[in-house]
Amino acid sequence: MSSTRGVLSLICILSFLPAFAQKDFNIKGLVLDALTKIPLAGAGIAGDGVYTIADHAGEFTLTGVVEGSQELEVSYLGYATERVMLQVDRDTTEITIVLTPSNTELIGVEVYGKSRERRARETPGSIVEVSQEFMDANRENSLMQTLSRIPGVNTINIGSRQSKPVIRGLGFNRVSVVQNGIKHEAQQWGNDHGLEIDQYDVERVRIVKGPASMLYGSDALAGVVDIPSPAVPEPESFSGSVNLLGQTNNAMLGVSAGLSAREEKWYYRGRFTFKDYADYKVPTNQINFENYIFDLYKKHLRNTADQEANASFSIGYIAENISSETFFSNVYAKNGFFANAHGLEVRSSKIDYDRSSRDIDLPFHELNHFKLINNTAISINDHQLDIDLGFQYNWREEHSEPVPHGHMPKPDNSKEREFRKQTYALNASDTYVMGSHTLVGGVNLELQENAIGGWGFLIPAYTRFTAGIFAYDQFEINPKLHLQVGLRYDYGAVKIQPYYDWFPTEITTSSGMTSSKYLQRAWDETLDFDNISGSAGISYLSGNTTYKLNFGKSFRIPLANELASDGVNYHMYRFERGSTSLDPETSYQLDMVVSHEEEKFHFAISPFVNWFDNYIYLNPTSNYYETLQVYEYTQNKVFRVGGEVNVGTSLFERLHIDLSGEYVYASQQSGPKKGFTLPFSPPLSGLLSVKYKSEDFLFFRQPIFTAVYKVVSAQNEIVPPEAPTEGYQLIDLSWQTAIQPFRDYPAVKLRLKVSNVLNTKYFDHTSFYRLIAVPEAGRNLSLSLRIPIS
Amino acid sequence: MKSKKTHLLVFLMLGMFLGCSDDDGIGKDEEKPTISTAFGQGFPKGCELLKRGETYTFRARLDDNVELAAYSLDIHHNFDHHTHDDQKISCELGAVKEASNPWKLMENYTVEEGKTSCEIQLEITVPEDVDTGDYHCQYSVIDATGWQSRTAIDIKVVE
Repeated sequence: MSSTRGVLSLICILSFLPAFAQKDFNIKGLVLDALTKIPLAGAGIAGDGVYTIADHAGEFTLTGVVEGSQELEVSYLGYATERVMLQVDRDTTEITIVLTPSNTELIGVEVYGKSRERRARETPGSIVEVSQEFMDANRENSLMQTLSRIPGVNTINIGSRQSKPVIRGLGFNRVSVVQNGIKHEAQQWGNDHGLEIDQYDVERVRIVKGPASMLYGSDALAGVVDIPSPAVPEPESFSGSVNLLGQTNNAMLGVSAGLSAREEKWYYRGRFTFKDYADYKVPTNQINFENYIFDLYKKHLRNTADQEANASFSIGYIAENISSETFFSNVYAKNGFFANAHGLEVRSSKIDYDRSSRDIDLPFHELNHFKLINNTAISINDHQLDIDLGFQYNWREEHSEPVPHGHMPKPDNSKEREFRKQTYALNASDTYVMGSHTLVGGVNLELQENAIGGWGFLIPAYTRFTAGIFAYDQFEINPKLHLQVGLRYDYGAVKIQPYYDWFPTEITTSSGMTSSKYLQRAWDETLDFDNISGSAGISYLSGNTTYKLNFGKSFRIPLANELASDGVNYHMYRFERGSTSLDPETSYQLDMVVSHEEEKFHFAISPFVNWFDNYIYLNPTSNYYETLQVYEYTQNKVFRVGGEVNVGTSLFERLHIDLSGEYVYASQQSGPKKGFTLPFSPPLSGLLSVKYKSEDFLFFRQPIFTAVYKVVSAQNEIVPPEAPTEGYQLIDLSWQTAIQPFRDYPAVKLRLKVSNVLNTKYFDHTSFYRLIAVPEAGRNLSLSLRIPIS
Repeated sequence: MKSKKTHLLVFLMLGMFLGCSDDDGIGKDEEKPTISTAFGQGFPKGCELLKRGETYTFRARLDDNVELAAYSLDIHHNFDHHTHDDQKISCELGAVKEASNPWKLMENYTVEEGKTSCEIQLEITVPEDVDTGDYHCQYSVIDATGWQSRTAIDIKVVE
């Protein structure tokens, strides 16, 4: 790629040479990213009638510049164009031009680095590359909320900052999250906790919308949130930043500080993040859940305060044929849950929740996620060997006020549930480039152990082993036409540990005898599964237009709770029953993408059609167990169709308008809920975003004003026990700018944002608190500052 | 020329998009059943006092748009004031105390097939030896589709 650019610049230089043979000079210089100081290969440098492109080292030579006062315009995709005035009267060297990332050229998700953009265009699946610039411009309380601006990406939230990914209406274990090459293993299956990733550790994200099991294994049915390791720092560099955050709605204060340094071959990175949130506010004084009424104190959603403390460190080595980086990271959080009802269980308490909005009383959960990951890449001749090793320890405890339930007497402590999940993973792959074929083969191994504790039983302890082997070929038929075909085989075994109630239950036999028994809730069983998955796709690049077509089969191994739960989930007021006869869930999906990109106009449409043979669905039955409704895991055929549309245009240089929409339709085609949709189906929604880049003034550089108008239609497609959700409209405003009081000092970035400007009371259909009629957060003003260290 | 082709393709795809989105779930049951004691003979009403050893007829009315399936009655103590009812009036609760032999009742019943409404009558005797104090009486109903409704009533067991 870079050599092509070198050649291009050479051609450019050569072509201008004869035209300006007299009274002209050469200007040599360097183009760098203002923050990272990474050379911007491919940046364009234009003067009066002359033009060149920076080479792989960011260096350029502009020849034939006419004597006198000259203005150079330096531009690069994803960066703000910089204009430099020069007095040209001799050959000049060593001009350094720094460009600041900006999103004025293209809005939001369309801001990619060039080579990544090209690669994404050549890969047949529906892929969105998310840049750091997008992350910074759209940062919300959690990583997934930040990413939910992308059409087709939603979240399932509990409270204002814990969220898990939903891609085109599917979430939980049907979306894989991968960080530094290793699948993130937390509590994906549960609906009352978030992702457990520090979003400040995330530099860029690749979102795969569509079936991706061929590459990512089990669970990548709806898509993947792939968080690659950040770019390697430049040699002999030292840089860092401090992020300061403040919010009004939840009185949040946060700080995140990161540093990275590199000598010649060794490099280091470190970061810590600390956030403290008070209870968040909703635009209502009262919550009406069924016939219950909860009065709120000063509109505070009581006991929703949180604390979060994260740290990460990595050490890397890079040489010509080998690179290796080892990451240590730890995410800790303590999150309070709404005190009046958790799940569907209405609670009253003697705890004085309203004495402080910052303390965390019962119910709450506390979690810690430790990760140790090594990524190593070795190049030998035409082969590149990638090895990723990972260890994760995910610990979570859920505490609530002990109360007797059914036959269970009042427990003597508050520890309702505890999960200790350890995951060991090994991924190895070899990439071999053979002419126009890029052949990749690899294996994935994962061993997982889950231990449980506490007086509430929901998911059994288990040990799970999975192994997968895959191979694919990316074939460049010609530079415009790419074909990708791959196949994968997986084997998995789940060993479930038996579980008995810690309290006796009175049983009345048919003969009228009563006896007391410690009921068994999970049986000692070992189940094994295997599956063949694969995908085939084609991409065609015609000028600025990309066409893609991809067909894939993906799968998911059933979870231990789907296989073996047999107990009461009091939060949801139901009895959940698993089934050991469940098959791996398999899904077939056809994806299409047409996108067109010009300087002032872009357009993309990405529809999909999806068929599940055996979607695992927790079906609410018409039966009771001890006065609680029995929910059973069943497998049904499901048809889904939907997609995203995105169109944007630039007007009058400074204004950019972007419009996007997303829609998913899902229908169960068999089973007891035939004709019904799937739970948590996101409604039809549209987003209009208007960006205006104003002139620099005072010491504000590249100020951008953004207004976002979101329209969400009502969701009347529901399935028991859901309720329809009314449509709503939201307005968010933000203003971001760089502040540069001193010319040689890197700019401080500032962002002011007002969310839910009109303090609208609305319900999010995919929010966990929607079930108990809790509206979303009210108006919020947030201020974030990013101060560079160099 | 090229852009025209693109646009045509886009419209075709939009057509596919919309064409598939019509609702084929006509006749889906999206209504919850209802359960209530808020009628003349309904029992218990909010703050009702029940004497130990006495027999009462618990009455509730069930309704559904399609078909009723099952109902349940759950009585458990509320000595720790862990919850409250959903009736309009709020009752004076006794002092918080530990349970020694609380009354526990958990019964499920099915409704005969094809019914969209019925009035249930359950003869229930308060055991002689249970703790007196605040109790919680919870009725629940499920319809044939799997929709559930609940209602909870604060009651007191007295001497």
